[in-house]
Amino acid sequence: MSTTGQPREAVIEIRNLTKIYRDFWGRKKVRAVNALSLDVYKGEVFGLLGPNGSGKTTTLKMLLGLLFPTEGEIKILGQSASDVRKNERIGYLPEESYLYRFLTGEETLDFYGRLFNMTNAERKQRTEELLKLVKVDHARKRQLKEYSKGMTRRIGLAQALINHPDLVLLDEPTSGLDPLGSRDMKDLILDLKAQGKTIVMCSHLLADVQDVCDRIAILYGGELKVLGRVDELLKSQNQTQVLSDQLSPAAQAEVEAVLKKHGAKYQVDHPTANLEELFLRTVQESKDRPGRRLIADDPAVKA
Amino acid sequence: MNFDPVPFPLLQSFLLWLLVVGSATCIVLVVSLIATIATVGARGPVVFANELGAMVGDLVSLSPRRIFALAQLTFREAVRRKALMVFVVFAILFMFAGWFLSSSNLAPEFQVKVYVSFVLRAISWLILPVVLLLACWGIPEDIRLRSMHTVVTKPARRLELVIGRMLGYSFVGLTVLAVMGVVGWGWINRQLPESAKSQLICRQPIRGELTFLDREGNPTKEGINVGDIWMFHSFIEGATKARAIWTFEGVGPHVLDNEGNLLLENRFQAFRSHKGDMRRSIYFQYTFVNPETNARVPYQLKTVDEGRGRTDRINRTLLNIGESSKTDGKKYDIIDDMVSKDGRLTVEVACVDPGQYLGMARPDLFVRTADLPFYYGYFKAVACIGLMVLLVIFMGVSVSTFVKGPVATFLTFCVVIVSYGARDFMGRIVGDPIALQKAAQYSGLQEMKKLEGGGVLESIYRILWHMNPTTELPAGPSTTIMQFIDTGLVNFLWLVYRILPNFDYFSESLLYVANGFDVRFDSCVLACIMVTLAYFGPCVLLGYFALRVRELEAK
Repeated sequence: MSTTGQPREAVIEIRNLTKIYRDFWGRKKVRAVNALSLDVYKGEVFGLLGPNGSGKTTTLKMLLGLLFPTEGEIKILGQSASDVRKNERIGYLPEESYLYRFLTGEETLDFYGRLFNMTNAERKQRTEELLKLVKVDHARKRQLKEYSKGMTRRIGLAQALINHPDLVLLDEPTSGLDPLGSRDMKDLILDLKAQGKTIVMCSHLLADVQDVCDRIAILYGGELKVLGRVDELLKSQNQTQVLSDQLSPAAQAEVEAVLKKHGAKYQVDHPTANLEELFLRTVQESKDRPGRRLIADDPAVKA
Repeated sequence: MNFDPVPFPLLQSFLLWLLVVGSATCIVLVVSLIATIATVGARGPVVFANELGAMVGDLVSLSPRRIFALAQLTFREAVRRKALMVFVVFAILFMFAGWFLSSSNLAPEFQVKVYVSFVLRAISWLILPVVLLLACWGIPEDIRLRSMHTVVTKPARRLELVIGRMLGYSFVGLTVLAVMGVVGWGWINRQLPESAKSQLICRQPIRGELTFLDREGNPTKEGINVGDIWMFHSFIEGATKARAIWTFEGVGPHVLDNEGNLLLENRFQAFRSHKGDMRRSIYFQYTFVNPETNARVPYQLKTVDEGRGRTDRINRTLLNIGESSKTDGKKYDIIDDMVSKDGRLTVEVACVDPGQYLGMARPDLFVRTADLPFYYGYFKAVACIGLMVLLVIFMGVSVSTFVKGPVATFLTFCVVIVSYGARDFMGRIVGDPIALQKAAQYSGLQEMKKLEGGGVLESIYRILWHMNPTTELPAGPSTTIMQFIDTGLVNFLWLVYRILPNFDYFSESLLYVANGFDVRFDSCVLACIMVTLAYFGPCVLLGYFALRVRELEAK
């Protein structure tokens, strides 16, 4: 149910999905996904988490029809996973950017646009938009084999968005990107969400998932272990956090006295930023003030 | 090769194609249904029906734009991966080939044969490996590098992928072929010695039906066998009533040359039972007969040009010299008086020298109509090579959808080699009339029978027990079982024989043009077109089926 009490529209319905890899002789090799059932709703960012080999990429590939389920059923946008018509409304960014390396950036987007039967004018317009969006328009005439890994990820993302998809499937979207690119990718995911699109992403970079996902599923050994909203799953019910601006020593002593009076166990400290925030702030300030050192040197290094 | 083109049996071939493709489709459907039931159990028939419906849906919802996009991608891939480097090999080959082909001591027609054969064979042998490798490696590499993932997760049907790949490689192959063909034509015209250039022509023969009269003047099926076990040429005895009689159809004023002559080209053989006059060749005589009115006009004596053919120019106005060389002074028009109303002309050939023999087969005398320019036949031969290139591409792409690149290359290569080299032999084993007739022609026999000796097991048995093929096998259950298995194997061989394409059609055009004949549309070009088309549909469907049922991500 949504917050308004209306039943939510499921974009992906997975029921009892199982995938067993077999060897040449048909003998069971590995059970990659086991009896997985979950729904992904319209307009949410859904994260599939898990360590390597947990079955998240296999699940994604079954959604796309690249692998066939051993058992179970998948409905994606109301159609079977093997129905090619569903692809009209799907965008897919693979784990590695499996693109044609002999094509230029511009040709790549034009090619994928044609696969959606887009007209010449539509393709040109969309190519321009996307090359600018993913910031590779300066390299549009270069073949992809000359692109860096980050640029290849960006053009990969552009091809996934060529058709204005309703559902975007992203496999390790920030893999290979520098922190700036990673931030851009996360901003873009949130932007797509704001446009009402549904996003499903696989990742084992937990910080990225936490930043953008509404709901997550954690897989382990091919089985679903956790499913729910990120904020609810991370909320700690037996602790209280109070944040304030810098307090004077007197004010801090008063607060501590109150906490002692109520018998609370407490800790007073300055909150620390995460490394990503520090990196982004450093880059931004370096751009604004070139040549200036921003943070004091390590005294140990000085000595 | 006797350059006796047989019109391609279009209807008969189409019916056979329907039979083979229909049978193969039924077998695939039944096996697929059984496999589906074995995999998913009781839901099998429903799943199978749904899949079949989806496949039919894909067939009717093809998008030309997507197909062209995939074809263009394929073309770009081939070009940017330097497939056109084949031109460098081609250029080097042609830069120095002239050194080794110089043959001014040969007769002009043989020089033409050497140059034209070299060019057309060089083009075929250079282009075929290139397209074979391209076609067999494209899709497997696409799957291995997973670039296909980004295609099949778009609305592109796997059928479009197969067709797009085939079209793309076809563009590459045909572009390379067109350039090589034009360069080759220019090279022949430039390199061929001046003395031989007059032989750069395409002769257009009108072939007739051949019958014989024996030495008593009675009709007979064939002439005399002079002792050669290869009985392709029949011989008529000199100074007797023995005659070789050709009846040509479709004769009219249009077959005469610019000067109003009827050109008769012959390639008779002479067999001498005694030395005779060694300063001259054996004499023979044409007699023109109107098959309607039976008017007969003997023509002046001619000599046999042994080893080489000769063209006799028959003046339109014939002077009747009489059967015994006494003229009645009456003049006949060869078209108006000797050709029947339905366009038939009979030409009798008699050997004049007593005790000598003249040998001939049906293709050894023909009416030669106006020659066509050389490029006319040359580019038709190039077109036939192009059709062969397309066929190899269709097979290569199709095979590459279910096996990896090296295996696909090997498999396609084997199909080409077996089709070239062993298909005729297989035809003789299964008793295909066309293969037997062709084998007889090549061996110089009037006819050839199905190979004796039974099937594989029976042959092994006969070899081990030193039994010749005509000896009766001992009756008993072991013989019955052996022959039963052999029958199954021969039937399987029949299926393989029918499935393998007939590559002879493609190489025939080369032989025609190299020997100065036009490449006939109804026999050569049509056959090449039909064979290529016949394989296009099944190859596409096989490729589509293989791509659809396989997991592209499977490890």
